Amino acid sequence: MNLSRRFLLSFAALAVASVMLAAPVLADPFKVALVLPGNITDQSWNQAGYEGLMNAKKALGIEVAFSEKVAQPDQAEAMADYARRGYDVVIGHGGEFQAAAIRVARKHPDTLFVVHNGTEPGENIATLDFYYKQFGYLLGVIAGRMSESGKIGFIGAHKIKFSTDLVESYEAGFKSVQPDGEVYIAWTNDWDDIAKGKEAALSQIALGADVIFPTMDNAAIGSLQAAKEKNVWAFYLYYDSIVDWPDTVLQSAIMDIKAAMVDLLALAQAGNAEGKNYNMDVNSPKAARLGTYHSAIPADVKAEVEGLIAKMKSGELKP
Amino acid sequence: MMEILLDPTMLSDFLSTSLRLSIPIVFAALGGVLSERAGVYNIGLEGMMLAGAFGAAVGTFFTGEPFFGVISGMFAGALTAVVLAILAVSLGVNQIVAGIAINMFSIGVTAFLSRIVFSGQANTMTLPGYKAFAIPGLVAIPVIGPVLFQQDALVYLMYATVLLLFYLMFYTPWGLNIRAVGENPRAADTAGVRVNMVRYICVLGSGALAGLGGCYLVLSHVFLFSEHMSAGKGFIALAAIILGRWNPVGALFACLLFGLFDALQLRLQFANPEVPYQAFVILPYVVSILALVGLIGKPRPPGAVGLPYRREGK
Repeated sequence: MNLSRRFLLSFAALAVASVMLAAPVLADPFKVALVLPGNITDQSWNQAGYEGLMNAKKALGIEVAFSEKVAQPDQAEAMADYARRGYDVVIGHGGEFQAAAIRVARKHPDTLFVVHNGTEPGENIATLDFYYKQFGYLLGVIAGRMSESGKIGFIGAHKIKFSTDLVESYEAGFKSVQPDGEVYIAWTNDWDDIAKGKEAALSQIALGADVIFPTMDNAAIGSLQAAKEKNVWAFYLYYDSIVDWPDTVLQSAIMDIKAAMVDLLALAQAGNAEGKNYNMDVNSPKAARLGTYHSAIPADVKAEVEGLIAKMKSGELKP
Repeated sequence: MMEILLDPTMLSDFLSTSLRLSIPIVFAALGGVLSERAGVYNIGLEGMMLAGAFGAAVGTFFTGEPFFGVISGMFAGALTAVVLAILAVSLGVNQIVAGIAINMFSIGVTAFLSRIVFSGQANTMTLPGYKAFAIPGLVAIPVIGPVLFQQDALVYLMYATVLLLFYLMFYTPWGLNIRAVGENPRAADTAGVRVNMVRYICVLGSGALAGLGGCYLVLSHVFLFSEHMSAGKGFIALAAIILGRWNPVGALFACLLFGLFDALQLRLQFANPEVPYQAFVILPYVVSILALVGLIGKPRPPGAVGLPYRREGK
């Protein structure tokens, strides 16, 4: 081998230098950065965030940037870096960015930090979250009406507020219909492990569950596949997934972070965004709504669910 | 919980889950055994498995034949291993650092390429793959028959690979050369064995085996490619190598043990919702640690593992 280390190193240094020199110098439009915990092709939470950012870019003519797969230890640095580079809004895409946002926001008072699914708004921290419990409850009720075995499954990755809200309300909705029913809950500890997602669902199905609700990112596809193979029902999140899983998905809880993002960024661009919590629920159907009902769901169940939504809108039912 | 052990169908089902969860790890661990026996730490198993998964998806996508998927998956794994071989064997870079770099590189490059090849739709397409078929006679064995012999082609390939590697390693002159290179490369060199050539071959083979683990994920388990789908399985394989004492059969049993407890923890979670789930998630790892500590005798890695070999006067 005639390759020497010095040759490789100088080659690498040259490559890096040429990339850096090629970086363009830009004017100063309204700049928004999005920091994501996962990858933007997961057909799930991260993809929705990325598409929301791109929609905002198109609709508002803003300049955008994003970082994928930012792990917990790197969150604060990634957000601070964008703030230092003059981004007007820095978004942490997930409740897990809350602590990092608080730390970074103090040192960058001129930047607006947004935490999706955040819990603590502050001086220059806005949070954008969904009333997940309403949708967990509605899906639970549908599961109660559609489950013949009286056993249903829920699969999450980590126990964070978003997933505990969903699982509690899902169980409550289910038990309001089938008080003696059983809910199998599995935590896979990984958002991407698609094989584990599949095995978790298969294990629940083996114990008799006939409606499965996966809530991970990439890994949820594995659970949906298990449901399809074993001919049981499933729910999904974020988009009207019945288009991709016509025989499997009963209903989807569409948490349309895309629409919510564009609205909030429009406010921010106009200088009207405040450090408060922007909550999306059944009263803001543009951002949070149910998807298409599967044709197997009887009309009276649909009517019951629509009735519950009306009660939630009026504030009579608070799951 | 007891009904799983008493009801034969449920028990078979549970054991099948265990086996499916362990197969990608077995392939990666076999690759690790091959490479470490030749004296090269392969921390990059995770990245090679991911590359293999991507290769399998691409090959199957363009040809429609899972067989070509396996070929291109193994090729992609071996291609990633070439990087390790150059860095670790030719340039003498720290093997741990090189392996970690390969893992990070692989996550990035497979995600990047998959967005180009599948235009970001990899998650919603279904690829053709291997279906399970029974081996007549053996499948009739109660409980374990349907678990072990009602499987797809890649699982049978795994059985064959374990036996073949075991035979190669301990009963052939090639195996002796490999072990000599890993134990005492200078002695092997004196005896006329081309040390770095043997290491190159073993590292490449190691990548191809880890790539097969990725092939299993794509072609037998979930029938699609998803970014970072290896999800840390390559790291578990590293533990299995030590637990299996650098022996292919030992590594197999270590992986099965891990898969068994991984499947068990999923079911324990449903049965005990009041216990924090983390207590169950760590179960396979705790068992691995206990097994490492509890086994008689200290694990003794190959003598020259991790050390680059240089001839004097060169």
